[in-house]
Amino acid sequence: MKIKELIKQDAGFQYIIDSMELMSAAGRRKMLNTEFCADADTLRAEWQRLDQAIQATKEFKFKKPYIDLRHCLMCLHDLQGTLASLANHTALNEVELFEIKNLAQMAQTAKGAIAGLGLAEFLPIPDTTEVFALLDPDHTGIANFYIYDSYDPRLTPLRRELNALQTSEGDPIRISELLALQNEIQNEVCLRLSDQLHPWTETLVTTLEQMAYADFLLAKADLALRWELTRPEIGDTIEYKGLINPRLKERNEKQNLRYQPVDITLQPGVCLITGANMAGKTVLLKSVGTAQMMAQLGMYVPASKAIVRLLEGIVTSIGDDQDEMNGLSSYAAEIIKISDILRTCRSHEMLVLIDEPARTTNPVEGKALVQSIIKILNTLNSFTLITTHYSQLGADCRRLRVKGFVEDMSDLPLNPQNINRFIDYSLTEDNSDDVPHEALRIATILQCDLEMISLAKKMMNEE
Amino acid sequence: MPFVRDILNHNSLSIVGLEKNTGKTVCLNYILKRLNELGTHVGVTSIGVDGEQVDSVFATAKPEVVLYEGTHFITSEQHYMKRQTVSVLEYVDSHRTALGPLVTARVLVRGKALLSGAATTGILRTQIEQLGSMGVDLTIVDGALSRLSLASPTVTEAMILATGAAVSANVKQLVSKTKFLHNLILLDEVDSDLRERLSVIPSGLWAVDDDGLPHDLGIASVFLIDRSEQDILRYGKTLFASGAVSDRLLRILAAKEKGITLIARDFTKLFITPEAYVEFTRRDGRLMVLQRSKLIAVTLNPTSPQGFLLDSASTCHALADALQTPVYDVKKI
Repeated sequence: MKIKELIKQDAGFQYIIDSMELMSAAGRRKMLNTEFCADADTLRAEWQRLDQAIQATKEFKFKKPYIDLRHCLMCLHDLQGTLASLANHTALNEVELFEIKNLAQMAQTAKGAIAGLGLAEFLPIPDTTEVFALLDPDHTGIANFYIYDSYDPRLTPLRRELNALQTSEGDPIRISELLALQNEIQNEVCLRLSDQLHPWTETLVTTLEQMAYADFLLAKADLALRWELTRPEIGDTIEYKGLINPRLKERNEKQNLRYQPVDITLQPGVCLITGANMAGKTVLLKSVGTAQMMAQLGMYVPASKAIVRLLEGIVTSIGDDQDEMNGLSSYAAEIIKISDILRTCRSHEMLVLIDEPARTTNPVEGKALVQSIIKILNTLNSFTLITTHYSQLGADCRRLRVKGFVEDMSDLPLNPQNINRFIDYSLTEDNSDDVPHEALRIATILQCDLEMISLAKKMMNEE
Repeated sequence: MPFVRDILNHNSLSIVGLEKNTGKTVCLNYILKRLNELGTHVGVTSIGVDGEQVDSVFATAKPEVVLYEGTHFITSEQHYMKRQTVSVLEYVDSHRTALGPLVTARVLVRGKALLSGAATTGILRTQIEQLGSMGVDLTIVDGALSRLSLASPTVTEAMILATGAAVSANVKQLVSKTKFLHNLILLDEVDSDLRERLSVIPSGLWAVDDDGLPHDLGIASVFLIDRSEQDILRYGKTLFASGAVSDRLLRILAAKEKGITLIARDFTKLFITPEAYVEFTRRDGRLMVLQRSKLIAVTLNPTSPQGFLLDSASTCHALADALQTPVYDVKKI
C-alpha cells in the first residue's frame, strides 16, 4: 500500500501530506510512492536517519550546508524520463544532456552540503564527477552545455566558416548546407555521448532517487520539529499518551481554542467508542489513523508518547460516499465499503476505522448489522475502532466512552465556537451497554427550535 | 536609425500588434540588428508561440527572428532543437509548456530561431528578471496574435505598437482603430500619491473621495455592479476599477451621472470599444490610469495577409497626422 493510495481515504491523511514542505517534484514523487512499511528493522533504521536529520536541522537551519542543500533540492528537476531514455539506449538531445550535466554538478554540491550536515553516512550520494567531465570537455566547470567544438574536429572549421558567412550575410545556400552538416555532426555527438553515458544510468538514477529521498527526509525532520512529533516505539499493542490531531489542533489554535490531547490504548479486536455528539469520536478515529500512517511511513507521530503495533495497512469507513450519479445511497456505499474491509481483514492484519456504521438505515436492521460487524472483527487480529450511537448491542468487546459534557455548564451563551470548553475529550473504560443520551441537551445548547426540542422531550417521556 | 536610441533607456520592451500580421517580427528583427550594431546585451523571448516559419492561421510566409552573437534567448525545447544557430544552453526551466520546458541559451554564431515563451505575464515577469540576472541590459518580448497584456507597464517598461493592413484595408478605418488604441495607451496618469494608495488594492470597484482616499464599495467585480443596491457615487465622482474595465461599466457610469472619472490600472485592463468610450466621454466622463505605458514607436505593415498592399507613404502620413507621432513602415526602416 503506497502513500498515494492511503491518502484517498477520508481520514485526514491528505492534510499531513500537504503539510510536508518539499523542495522538488522528485521529492514529492518519492513521498507519494513510499510504501506503508510493516518491517520493524526498516522502520527503526528510517527513524534513526530521521533523528539524525532532526539534529542536523536544529543545528544548521540557518547555516550554509543546510541552505545549500535546500537550494540544490529546489533546483532539482525530476529527470525520470531522460534517465529512462538513457537506459533504453535512446539518443539524448542537447537539453537532456544539459539536464544530466546539471544533475551531475548539483549532486556534488549536495554531497558536500550533506557531509557538512554530518549526514553523509545516512544519505550517500554517488560520485558523478566523471559524468560531469564527460559533458565538460573544455573543463569550464560551468553547468552550461552545447555540442562543444572539441567533441568533433569538424566543428571548429565549420563554425568558423558559418560565422564568417553569417556576419557578412553571405551565400544563403552555403549557410543552409553548413547548418545541415552541423546538425548531422551534433546528432552524431549526441548519440556518442548517450552511449558513453549509458553505463552511468544506474549511478544517475541512484543520484536522483537519493536527492529525492534527501528532500523527503528533510521535510520529515522539518515537520517533526514544527509539530513537536515523537519517535514511536514498536510493540504488540497500540498505545498513545497525549495523542493529537494536527489538523484540529491547528484550527483550534487559530481560533484561540484549547486543544485537549487524549490517551488511548488498543488491543487486537474491536474497541467500541461511544460518547455524545460533538464529543470528538470521529476525530479520535482520524487521530489514531493519522498517527499509524505517519509511524509506518517512517515519520514521527503527534503524541507525547507512542507505542505502535506494525500492521499491514489501514482501512477506513469514515464520511459519506453517497453518490447519486453512481446510484449509490449513503447506506449502499457504506455497506460495500465495510464488506470490503471485512474481506481484507480475513487475510491481513489491519488498522480498521469505522465511523458510525449503519447510521443511515433503519435502527432495527442497522443494530443487527453493527452487532455482526463487531462479532466478525472481534475474532480477527486486526485492530478495530468503531464509533456508534447504538446501545444494547450486547457485544462482547471493549468499550471506551468519551467523557463528554462536563456538568458545570455555566449559563454562558453557548455556540459551536465555544462549546468545546465544556467538553472533556478524554476516554474512560465503560462496562455498561448504554450510550449517552445527550442529543436533546446539545440541541438545547445550540439554541435550536424550542418547539422541536420540547415536543421531542414530551415524546421521550411518553414512551 | 529611428527610435532605437529611445529603447536603450529601458530594461524591457514589448512589441504588440493591433492584429496578427502587423509586422511585429519584422520590427523585432530591425531592432535586434540595430542593437547588435550598438553592442547592447539583448535578451529575447516571446509570449505564447511565435516565430513560426509559416503563419499558422493564414499560412503566409513569416520572417524568422535573427539572433546575434551574445544574445540570450528563451524558447521551448522543441523550438530550440530547430534553431539555425550555434548556442550554449544556460538554463532549463522546470516549468513545462506544450512544447517542452522553456530553455535559456546564449548565441555563439548568428542565426535564425523560433521563439516561444511563457503563456502568462507572471512567468514572463520572472523571465525578464532572470535574464537581467544573466547580465542582459534589455529584454525584448515579442508579442503573439493581438495579445496586449505583455505591454502592461507592470510587465515591460516600454512598448512598440505595430499596426497595418491586417487591421483594415480601408485607410480611414485603420487610422481610426489605431488612433483609438493609441489614445488609450496615452491616457493621463493619476498623481504618484494616489497611485501608491490604489495600486495595493487587489480587486473590486472602489471610490476615491475628494481627499484622495479609497473606499471599498463592496462590489467584488465590476461585472456585479448592477446587483449593487447602494449608490456607488456616495463618496464622489471618482472611481477606481482594480480589474478589467468593460463597455458595460462605462455605459452604466455614463447613465448614472455626468463628469465621472474612472481610473484603471493601465491600458491593458481596458476591454472597451470606441462606441462605449464615446458615450462615456460625451457625458464628460474621463478615463485615467495608474501607470501609463511608455510608447516608443508606432510601426506600419502595409501588406495584409490576404495579399493587398496599402500605399506606404500616404498611410504612414495619415497615421502620423492622426496620432501626432512618427509612424514607420517596418519594411523600409
